[in-house]
Amino acid sequence: MIFKLLLQAELKLCQRTFARGLSSKPAWDIVTGVCIERLPVITPPLNEMQKKYKEMLYTIEVEKSLKSDHEVRHDNDKIQAELLKNESADVDLDAVSKITAQDFEDAANEELAQFKFADIVTEADKKGDKSSLERCLQRHLVLVTELQLGKDKKPLLPQGKWVEGETLRQTAERIVSEHCGPELKVQFVSNAPCGFYKYKYPSEIEGKVGAKVFFYYANYKSGKLTNKVKANWLTRTELMDTLPDRYKKSVHEFLIEESF
Amino acid sequence: MFNLSILKQFSRLSLCPATKAQINARPVSTATALQFRMTEPLCAEPMKKKKKLDPQIIKAREDRRRKKIEKQIRRLQKNAQQLKPIDEMEVPLHLLDQLGKRKRPVDVKPEVLEARALLQKEWTRYKREEYMSSVAQIDRIMAAQRRALDKLYEESEDLYYEAIMPDLSLIPYTIKGPVATPPIKDYESPDGEYIDVSKKWDN
Repeated sequence: MIFKLLLQAELKLCQRTFARGLSSKPAWDIVTGVCIERLPVITPPLNEMQKKYKEMLYTIEVEKSLKSDHEVRHDNDKIQAELLKNESADVDLDAVSKITAQDFEDAANEELAQFKFADIVTEADKKGDKSSLERCLQRHLVLVTELQLGKDKKPLLPQGKWVEGETLRQTAERIVSEHCGPELKVQFVSNAPCGFYKYKYPSEIEGKVGAKVFFYYANYKSGKLTNKVKANWLTRTELMDTLPDRYKKSVHEFLIEESF
Repeated sequence: MFNLSILKQFSRLSLCPATKAQINARPVSTATALQFRMTEPLCAEPMKKKKKLDPQIIKAREDRRRKKIEKQIRRLQKNAQQLKPIDEMEVPLHLLDQLGKRKRPVDVKPEVLEARALLQKEWTRYKREEYMSSVAQIDRIMAAQRRALDKLYEESEDLYYEAIMPDLSLIPYTIKGPVATPPIKDYESPDGEYIDVSKKWDN
C-alpha cells in the first residue's frame, strides 16, 4: 500500500517535470493581483438567537449576584423615607438631608444621555460614496479598481505583471504602491498566493496566450489612496455584483464569508 | 708575637698602621680599602607584621555569619510555602458580614427554568452549526491557496519556493479587533486620575 502511494507520488512528479519540460517557454504571462481588505471596524449586529441567549445570560447573572453598595444605599434611603413619613422619633436628620441614591442614579443617567456615540451609519453611507473607507463599518470591504485590459476597462482587483528577478510577493508590494500611491499602508499576511485565476487573451500578445493571476491577500492598515485612481471599497454583495463572472468565482474562493 | 701577627692580618681594615714596625713599608697600598658601602637598594616595603587574632574571636565571628545565613535560609523556606495572596480572589470581610442584607430575593418559576434549558440546547445546536460552517470555510480557503501554489509550481519552481518561505516580518503580529461603537472623530477624552494601588511584594 505504502509502496503504491510512493509510486503514485513519484509518477505525479515525473508527469509534472515532463509537462514543464515540454513547455520550456512559458506561454502565459504571470500576473499578480492584490486583494486589499479593510476589516470591520465595529462588531456585527447580533442575530435573534444571539440576542436571546445574551439576555438569558444577563438575567442569570443578576439573579446570582449580591446587591451592590449602591443598591444597599438605595434600600437604606427607602427605609429612612418611610420613617420620615411616619414622623418617627429616631430619624437621623443628617442621614436624610444627604443626596439619595436615586438622585445619584438620575444624575448619572443624565450624563450618559448627554454623551453622543458616533453613528454606525456614516456620512459616506448616507451619500452612497463607495470610494470612502468610512462606509459600512460592520462589514469587510475589498478594494476594487478600474483596470485597462486590452481595449475596455474592467472593475478588478489591482493587478500587474510579474517582472523577471522579483518574487511574487515583491510584485504584489510594487503593485500596491503603483496603483494606490505610497501613502496607503497595507499588511500582507503571507508570502504565498491565496488564490488563482487564469484568462486567455483574445489574440496572442508577444507570444503569450493569456495570463495566470496569482492573488495576494493584504489587510488595510492606514493611509489614503491617491486621488488619481478610481477605486471603490466594496462589500461582499457589491463585490459579487461588480466583478466579471468567472473572475468573481475565484475571488470568492479565498474570502471569508459574512454571516449577516 | 702572636698578637702582632693577628694585627698584621687585619691591617687592611685599619686606618692607621697597628704597629710602628711597618714604618719602612711601601707608601702605596695595593689593598682596596672598603670603608664606604652602599646599602642594598630596597624595592619594596618591609612586610608588616601580621596581627595575630584570638582564635576564639575568629570562631565567634564565623559562627555569627553562619547563623545569619541560616536564618535567611529558614525565612526563605518559610516564605516558599506561603503563596502571594491575590486580593481579588478573597471575599472582602464586610461583604461576608452583610451577606443577609445583600442577598437578592430570587424566585424563578419552573416554566422559566424549562425555557432556559431549551434555549441552552438550541444555543448549543446553533454554535455547532456555526463551527461547522467556519471549518468548511477554512477548508475552502486552504484549498484555494493549495491550488494557487500548485499552479505556481507548474509555472515556475523558483517562484514556488520563494512563495512557501515563511514571512518572518509577521512575528510578532498584533491586530486590534472590532469594537462595539465606532470611534468619534477628534474626540478628546476627559482627563482622569490614575492611582496605582497595586502592592509591592518584593522583600
